[in-house]
Amino acid sequence: MKQYLTKRILGTFPLLILVTFMAFVLINLRTSDPAEIALRVNQITPTEEVVQQMREELGLDDPFLIRYKNWILNSLQGDFGNSYVNKKPVLEELQQAIPPTLQLAGVTLLLIVIFSISIGIICSIFENRWQDRFLRGFIFVLAAMPSFWIGLLLMWYFSVYLGWLPTSGMNGPASIILPALTLSLTFLSTYVRLIRNNMIQNASENFILYAKLRGLRQSTVVWKIFANSIQSSLTAFGMSIPRLIAGTVIVENIFAWPGIGRLCVKAIFNSDYPVIQAYILMMAVLFIVCNLLVDICIVMIDPRLRREAK
Amino acid sequence: MKTKWLAGLIALLILVAGCGQQAKQTTQASGEKKNELVFASTKDIRDINPHLTGGELAAQNMVFESLVVNTPEGVQPKLAESWDISEDGLTYTFKLRENVVFNDGEPFNAEAVKQNIDAVVANYEKNAWLNLVQVIGSTAVVDEHTFVLTLKNPYYPTLEELGLTRPFRMISPNSFIDGTTANGVNGYAGTGPYQLAEHKDNQYALFTINEHYWGDKPKIGQVRWKVMPDHQTILLALQNGEIDLIFGADGDMLDANAFTSLQEQGKYITKISPPSGSRSILLNSKREFTQDKLIREALQYAINKQTIATGILNGTEQIADVLMSKSTPYADIELTARPYDVAKAEALLDQAGWVKSEDGYRYQEGKKLSLMLSYNSDNAQEKTIGESMQNDLKAIGVELELLGEEKQAYFDRQKSGEFDLQYSLSWGLPYDPQTYVSTWRVPSHGDYQAQAGLEKKEWLDQTIGEVLVEQDEAARADKYEQIFSYVHEEAVYLPLTYSVVKAIHSEALHGVTFNVSQYEIPFELMYFE
Repeated sequence: MKQYLTKRILGTFPLLILVTFMAFVLINLRTSDPAEIALRVNQITPTEEVVQQMREELGLDDPFLIRYKNWILNSLQGDFGNSYVNKKPVLEELQQAIPPTLQLAGVTLLLIVIFSISIGIICSIFENRWQDRFLRGFIFVLAAMPSFWIGLLLMWYFSVYLGWLPTSGMNGPASIILPALTLSLTFLSTYVRLIRNNMIQNASENFILYAKLRGLRQSTVVWKIFANSIQSSLTAFGMSIPRLIAGTVIVENIFAWPGIGRLCVKAIFNSDYPVIQAYILMMAVLFIVCNLLVDICIVMIDPRLRREAK
Repeated sequence: MKTKWLAGLIALLILVAGCGQQAKQTTQASGEKKNELVFASTKDIRDINPHLTGGELAAQNMVFESLVVNTPEGVQPKLAESWDISEDGLTYTFKLRENVVFNDGEPFNAEAVKQNIDAVVANYEKNAWLNLVQVIGSTAVVDEHTFVLTLKNPYYPTLEELGLTRPFRMISPNSFIDGTTANGVNGYAGTGPYQLAEHKDNQYALFTINEHYWGDKPKIGQVRWKVMPDHQTILLALQNGEIDLIFGADGDMLDANAFTSLQEQGKYITKISPPSGSRSILLNSKREFTQDKLIREALQYAINKQTIATGILNGTEQIADVLMSKSTPYADIELTARPYDVAKAEALLDQAGWVKSEDGYRYQEGKKLSLMLSYNSDNAQEKTIGESMQNDLKAIGVELELLGEEKQAYFDRQKSGEFDLQYSLSWGLPYDPQTYVSTWRVPSHGDYQAQAGLEKKEWLDQTIGEVLVEQDEAARADKYEQIFSYVHEEAVYLPLTYSVVKAIHSEALHGVTFNVSQYEIPFELMYFE
């Protein structure tokens, strides 16, 4: 097991280098001069002297590989450079933007768990009856709607029409409900289907038949089916966490949520390269780490894989 | 049994929804006089250091003041009570207002003015976009309340440019870092009606009344600047009563559709400023097809501006016959408009030797008359206008290719001059006309590139240089007339509309007016009733 772990952990490094290198290459392939961009975002007319001054300031005159090496080494020490737009350290910007996104992702995850489990169970109990069809149809429609549209509809209904919740911004616990709900709806359909189908499959297993024969209460039987159906969902769930964090972009923009997604969109619009690079690095790490953790969990849960790993 | 659950759940939801609506009605009924104005903006105020260009102008304008102010009646006193200009136009002596303090308690005096102006000039590279920065020779303190500014050469818009929202606004010397503002400031102490009390990056900024303010204090106690990146969210928030005011130019905060739909609802007050800037299309005189003046002229007659003004901009902007609106200084001159006239456009193209072929397009020596309009793809409105023009030009046998590019690529193209047609937005008052024409001489601007093929481009640049230092009012007007007449005659600008500032606010809010500059918002004059 130890050997497997070291192998997997060491394997992530080349992957990280590859991802960051690709990101660095792609950004540098652009024909636009980053020095000019850095001037334009502050509405300074880029004359030759100012551009040259800025090039020196940003260290753009170094060869490509040296710049990559410097960037990686500095990034490892938490120095992602300074934003072109406001000259603040990128790390500071990230530190400000990450907590709101984690809050949003956390509440969204909770909503996904609550809704997908309850709807999944209801669907499996009422398999192919109208309740099942109605709920699945409803979820299907929600999954097909783009999140900016759902977001605006929810905002109109709950804020403008009912007046229950603030439309946007991050002030108080009430303001997280709408963005989290919007975000959770896009993920719901996957889990509802997973839970429902697994439960239906497990319902015909022998141990369930025995449980029924023993005359156990229906709720106990349902619980037994559920407990045995949750594993595959858990795996999918693990990979949803980075997707959730990376997928907050649109929702954060609509709900004026000051998180990492909005930071990234703003950076893209302003061609704020240091911020974009830091964002890509962070997301790459997040995906790779989550993937690793999920793989390790699966190995630990499944005895057959555990033996193979040895 | 389970169906009962579901039915119960649905019933509960309906019940709760009903209560919610009632709750909202009661809160709306018990409205009291507000002391906070909530303004929504798609952008954060960022760093409002008045000597740099990184912050939002409207926010800088709330906190910092200049020696003079631009008003519809011309330049008026602000922190300077009066001034004298020497005969040769080189020396400006300002008598400063007494008993003015910065909101950190530091007295405002000639020494503070000198430090501020010196700091701006010292950061020459970043401030040289403004001509005045290039011509300031020296600054001197005569006594506590007398300050002298000496220029290297006469420059007629000196006072106008001193009154701009940046960079010549006064910040307390205590806010300087190591005697300069070029690398940031450690506070935002100004003399303006408001002070920045709180700022959460990308969320909101809170401005409160500056208790030390020398003039009439604003009636509204605090202004909350809320950042909402999405336009639709701003509209819903307005309808929900969360915000009181939307204010902005060029579709920045509000597109024309949203503006009209709110206007029609009748629940809000909508206002439009007098024409501010000029929206036109550059016709590049250096490119293969558009270097022919006949083609440039034909394009002028072919565009149906009425469709653009009413169909796309929903009547919020005025049709422009000439580049600068008559209300712009020195632009009230007689120029022959080129009205929408398809027959005339076709005749001009015939004259230029372009023959219509079976496919409806014009050809010459096997070459199709095909032009490219480059625009910034962030701007949806520009795309729609482009489509309307595409349609108009097709009617006269000219193909128009629309090339939307991401912002920086668009600028790169602008700088290289690789476009047939591109949008040009003037800076708006009070920058127009001097700062706008001044940028025509800078190669990184599209205007320069589009004019580069003109026979008298050198003369044009020289005349612009001369007009800026011309001391004699009549001679100056004459030079401006020559400049505007020449670019009009050469048809390098296809004037579309004059842009305006739009404001929408709740009925309770009063006193919403416009400043001369489209980027400023006069919060200090607003009040609730």
